[in-house]
Amino acid sequence: MIYRAPWRLIDVQLEQPLAPVERIPGAHGVTLTFWWRGTPLGQADVFAIELPLPASQLASIAGAAVSPALAHYVTGQEPIPAVNEWGRREWTVPSTYRALLSGDPFAVLDQRSAPPPPCPSLSVVVCTRDRPDDLESCLRSLAALDPPPLEIIVVDNAPGLPATREVVDRLGIGRYVAEPRPGLSAARNAGLAAARGDLVAFTDDDVTVEPEWAARLAEPFADPVVAVTTGLVLPAALETEAQLLFEHAFGGFGQGYRPLRFGRDFFDRHRGGSAPVWSIGAGASMAVRRSVAVQLGGFDERLGAGAAGCSEDSELWYRVLAAGLECRYEPRAVVRHHHRTTTSALDGQMYQYMRGHVTAVLIQYANHGDRGHLRRVARTLPTWYARSAVRALGSLVRHGRLRHRHRLLPAQVAGALAGVFHYLRVRHRPAGGAIA
Amino acid sequence: MPYLIADVELTTPLPSVVVPPTHSGIGFIFRLRGRAIGYLLHAVTPGRTVSPDEVERLATAQCGARIVQEEARAALAAVGPPLVDPSVTIAICTRNHPDLVARCLASLEVAAARVPECRVEVLVVDNAPSDERTRELVEARPGVRYTREPIPGLNFARNRAVREATGTIVAYVDDDVVVDVRWLEGLLEVWRDNPDAGGFTGQVLPLELETDAQVLFERRGGFRRAFERIRWAGDSHPRNPLYPCNGGAFGAGTNMAFRRDLLLELGGWDEALDTGAPLPGGGDLDMFYRVLRAGRPLVYEPLYLAFHEHRREYDKLRHQFYTWGTGFVAFIEKSYRTDPPMRARWRQLMRWWIRSQSGRLWRSLRGRDALPADLVWPELWGGLVGLTGEYRRSRRRVERLRREHR
Repeated sequence: MIYRAPWRLIDVQLEQPLAPVERIPGAHGVTLTFWWRGTPLGQADVFAIELPLPASQLASIAGAAVSPALAHYVTGQEPIPAVNEWGRREWTVPSTYRALLSGDPFAVLDQRSAPPPPCPSLSVVVCTRDRPDDLESCLRSLAALDPPPLEIIVVDNAPGLPATREVVDRLGIGRYVAEPRPGLSAARNAGLAAARGDLVAFTDDDVTVEPEWAARLAEPFADPVVAVTTGLVLPAALETEAQLLFEHAFGGFGQGYRPLRFGRDFFDRHRGGSAPVWSIGAGASMAVRRSVAVQLGGFDERLGAGAAGCSEDSELWYRVLAAGLECRYEPRAVVRHHHRTTTSALDGQMYQYMRGHVTAVLIQYANHGDRGHLRRVARTLPTWYARSAVRALGSLVRHGRLRHRHRLLPAQVAGALAGVFHYLRVRHRPAGGAIA
Repeated sequence: MPYLIADVELTTPLPSVVVPPTHSGIGFIFRLRGRAIGYLLHAVTPGRTVSPDEVERLATAQCGARIVQEEARAALAAVGPPLVDPSVTIAICTRNHPDLVARCLASLEVAAARVPECRVEVLVVDNAPSDERTRELVEARPGVRYTREPIPGLNFARNRAVREATGTIVAYVDDDVVVDVRWLEGLLEVWRDNPDAGGFTGQVLPLELETDAQVLFERRGGFRRAFERIRWAGDSHPRNPLYPCNGGAFGAGTNMAFRRDLLLELGGWDEALDTGAPLPGGGDLDMFYRVLRAGRPLVYEPLYLAFHEHRREYDKLRHQFYTWGTGFVAFIEKSYRTDPPMRARWRQLMRWWIRSQSGRLWRSLRGRDALPADLVWPELWGGLVGLTGEYRRSRRRVERLRREHR
């Protein structure tokens, strides 16, 4: 993989004069995340060999990195694909370029931006399981939320162990709720039940949030058709090979820097297949309208960490879309996620992801009857894995090792297979817990 | 059939473009506030008029992303410390083309007038001429210096320019080139922003699209590069295993500039490359490579723009591709011998080049390439001929020339 550990992360505030990027001793490169007054606009990777980078070149790189998101904010239009003169895929705006000739696109962005309105009826729920150090930094970042949420609830999914209770008591941040039934879905449902707000935002204990996170997640709910919002998840650090593999071989959580909407057209476009609901966002940064979540039965307790492994969030989003409501991805709601540091933990995570995913798709088939789900499990995934396996074997034979994008394949295939068996085991179990 | 050239400024009301019955297309240059940000070869039925709305649609499809990118970059770029007493020697190496030199000089005058704070010296290097026409032309122009390089060969002429230039930067333009009005501004801007750079390359667009050969060459890509600034530094790059050996990626010898002190430090141009027939190629690739190997950055800047008159005749174009093949392989052979640590990469580059050329030939035979097969195989053939030791033969020829001219 061209990305080698350690790798640095730098936030570049574009509203300030750009400075050259100096050499970073020890690091193989740096990912620059570009911000304009609290709005993340894009990112670019710079390798160590390219440093030091003069400020003029940084401006050039920033211009290219922020242009898709900036075009969206300035014109309000979704980009459409285009092909440049060398046959490479680019993008452009659908109507006319004149809409882009604003002069200073950042000034236009300022005019169109406003600070987020307060979120007095948003509850924040953190589900945790014996990770006191991570929980502590998460809670500290939640305490810094501005505008603040209605309340912070900590759901302890391992109440037999004292660590979580100790952290909550010591910091004095958040209301403690115990959920003895194991599983992230059960914990999330407990959070839904305990929350007093109309909106409930969820985050994980291995995450730290930016100050405007809660308010930005709450903003789109002004539109009554919106039932779910998700946010941008950036890596907190890319110090180890496992973290870089997660970010680049798996794709991390990257959803991009443009706001997206997922509604009827997204759902219908994938009729015949299985709508890729995992692309809506990440459960590490999401919010739901409480009444809708409860009405739909909450999170399926056969899924999620501690059960099938994952996808308790995306399966709920599927039900939201099937009910005719919308999900919105809001990149201005930002959290930073601490990826697993060791490759063995990463393999375990990949196994859990695929096991949860396959179980979720089969549950979707059972609930909604769309044959596309069955096709995904019976044909699409196996074909993809078979092709990848052949390519992986090819590079193994030729170079004696797996290429980075195949490195996670064994764990994923094992997880996918396990998902089928897990579904068969749990399909007759009830989906929901009792939510008041 | 020929193409019309339309230079369109996107911030002003767009024109309608009338394509005469003798022409079958338009070559659009799209500019944003004077900076070229896109190029499009658009086939049109002869005799049709292209409306402003259609031009707008074409411009949007071609340049939409780049307009935002350029607006953002311009808003973010701060003007750095100005150059202290900048001086540039513009060297035109020529042989028996006084008419082309006259045209080139006129465009240089216009470009230099826009940057009065820069000391500009124009040096015409007359390479082994058969008559005095070029000397007479230059002597009639007071601001232009004349010098003669008796040994025939482009790199001999380039070396004479290095020896006789007085500017900090030596900017080379071929005699068949007309520079853009902002050419010198572009060079000074990229120099000011990259004071540590050893060399600069510029954008090259077609001057005219009058013949089929010219249109075909441009459809293949011509000498065009990206419309954004690119900076290269170091002698390896994780994204490209062939870097920095992929000389053609950095620019074209038609429009390039280097620090004079660096050229002297590197020992000047390799006179066994870019000799004129039978090896009129490889000289520029070699210098780009040596600049990067010496640890100096190389920067490409699209505002540093020149227009090149492509070969008008079909068989001359075929021959040009042949010389690209021999030049490229000669450069590889030379570098392979003189730069042992990079040998594995040179072998990899050679294998890639052969695969890439064969792939293009195959696609062309199936009708899937912009060029017909008889314009694709000459380059491969030239390379194969080059593999038989063209660089070694060239060195022997050049030694003989040096002896003859002593």
